[in-house]
Amino acid sequence: MAAYVLHLAILAGIYIILTVSINLIIGYAGQVSLGHAAFYGIGAYISALVSLHWHLPFPAAALAALLAAGLCGLALGLPTLRLKEDYLAIVTLGFGVIVDLVFLNLEVTGGPDGLPGIPAPSFLGLDFRPPWLYLILVVVIVILVLIAAYRLVDSYHGRALRAIRDHEITAQVMGINTPAYKIVVFTLAAALAGLAGSLYAHYITFINPETFGLHTSILILTMVVLGGMGSIAGSVLGAVILTILPEMLRQAHAYQELIYGGLLMLLLIWRPSGLLGRGKLSLKFLKREG
Amino acid sequence: MFFQQLINGLTTGSVYALIALGYTMIYGILGLINFAQGEIYMCGAFVAVLLLATGKVNFFLAFALGMAAAAILGVLLERAAFRPLRGFHPLVPLISAIGASILLQSLALLLFGPNDRPFPIQFTFSSVEIAGLPVSTLQVAILAAALGFMGLLVVFVRYTTYGKAIVACALDRDTARLMGINVDRMVSLTFLLGSALSGAAGIMMAVYYNATYPRMGMLPGLKAFSAAILGGVGSIPGAILGGLLLGVAESLGAAYISSGFKDAIAFAILILVLLLRPQGILRGRGD
Repeated sequence: MAAYVLHLAILAGIYIILTVSINLIIGYAGQVSLGHAAFYGIGAYISALVSLHWHLPFPAAALAALLAAGLCGLALGLPTLRLKEDYLAIVTLGFGVIVDLVFLNLEVTGGPDGLPGIPAPSFLGLDFRPPWLYLILVVVIVILVLIAAYRLVDSYHGRALRAIRDHEITAQVMGINTPAYKIVVFTLAAALAGLAGSLYAHYITFINPETFGLHTSILILTMVVLGGMGSIAGSVLGAVILTILPEMLRQAHAYQELIYGGLLMLLLIWRPSGLLGRGKLSLKFLKREG
Repeated sequence: MFFQQLINGLTTGSVYALIALGYTMIYGILGLINFAQGEIYMCGAFVAVLLLATGKVNFFLAFALGMAAAAILGVLLERAAFRPLRGFHPLVPLISAIGASILLQSLALLLFGPNDRPFPIQFTFSSVEIAGLPVSTLQVAILAAALGFMGLLVVFVRYTTYGKAIVACALDRDTARLMGINVDRMVSLTFLLGSALSGAAGIMMAVYYNATYPRMGMLPGLKAFSAAILGGVGSIPGAILGGLLLGVAESLGAAYISSGFKDAIAFAILILVLLLRPQGILRGRGD
């Protein structure tokens, strides 16, 4: 039982990183990414591959995952983010399909069988195989990510981002380089998803393409909307709830996606600010006119 | 070989074009992407297949009822997922439509199970010679039907009062309202038409691939969206051109480049178009 709780806590930590990162895109830059699981997958695969083939230690592998996912985010964001907001949703969705096909078809990624035997991290003279040690590692990284996210959204740059989200043209007139901001945030979020992927790969020690499909992107999106778009504390809460809830409703497994879809629609109609997005900040940007 | 791939591409492309018309018209009038378009396509196919499986209706009636069911679903979807959220940040209806798409897909999964259903009636198709080359009559029938629907839509939009009212709403919703046009009704009508075409596309593909399943709408829906962007989103001829071009590109790409990456071709094209010519071939309003 204790092992199971530890397992859920580690997974919740990984989902918190994913949710906070995508919330930077949704809640602060006003864009939707439906391919976040692809960056998560890129991070997981790159991290696994560099540890398996080059025997790099975990910090180097995690850094490689972060950079690789960030670069893919940059390459995808550059052509797309100059355009209207809804384009990113489709392009990232298509990107998710492409990445999934790449994982399935390449030899180096093991195709549908995936990659087994990814080493558990061991550095600083510590072996992170025991789950409680791994949990500490995850918690430390989550705290660092949260500090960084709070520092970002409370800074000059965070205010610039919120201005873009609330009214892009006004933001532009105020001298904010809106495409540059959106691209930087998207790249940053992709990089963080890559880091989460690395944490996942070295924890589970086996990855295959199934984990990084569209349903995971939708799950992360639902976590953000449930917690509240534009609220970092909300992201944490959303991630924790939707990690634990499915485990408690095991017998309702078949209804899981149905519940996520319904939850998304109902939340947006009745409570678009989510659970914690109560501050005037979230509602103001959701309700554009009238 | 090349000719065969071209015909295959035109056949699937004409179906993408039908779905793309729905996207483009809805985008034109509301400025929103209807993410659940693929599920409407799936609904049309399921209704027709289930009706035919009862053995009590003939093919044409089942086809018409499938289209009608898709059209009704589209109108209901607009009421449930789009209308309450009008005036919000565009992000909000977008996510709501994603939710609707997931909801409909998993609902179909629960109701009908994950397995492919074959088309209940068997057609006997022969091949005809066109310019000395053999072409399946099934492909000719699908192409002809798709082009027929497109022609009807173009005539409707160009020459009828309701069609012109839709165009007026797409051009400027507020002015259209001042001219006495009931904008809400025109939005419903747009969803009705676009969804009926998607439903027809779904039924044709159910015959073509002889398979109907809950997730069948996802990839065609996404590809049709790419087609709408390629042609120029908001433009009706653009959607038709984009659909046909995308179908051909995909079919040739699968034959000559890599069949494993067949589904990636549409998205590679999408990203290239956004990079090089975001307004699309026929200058929609994507920029």
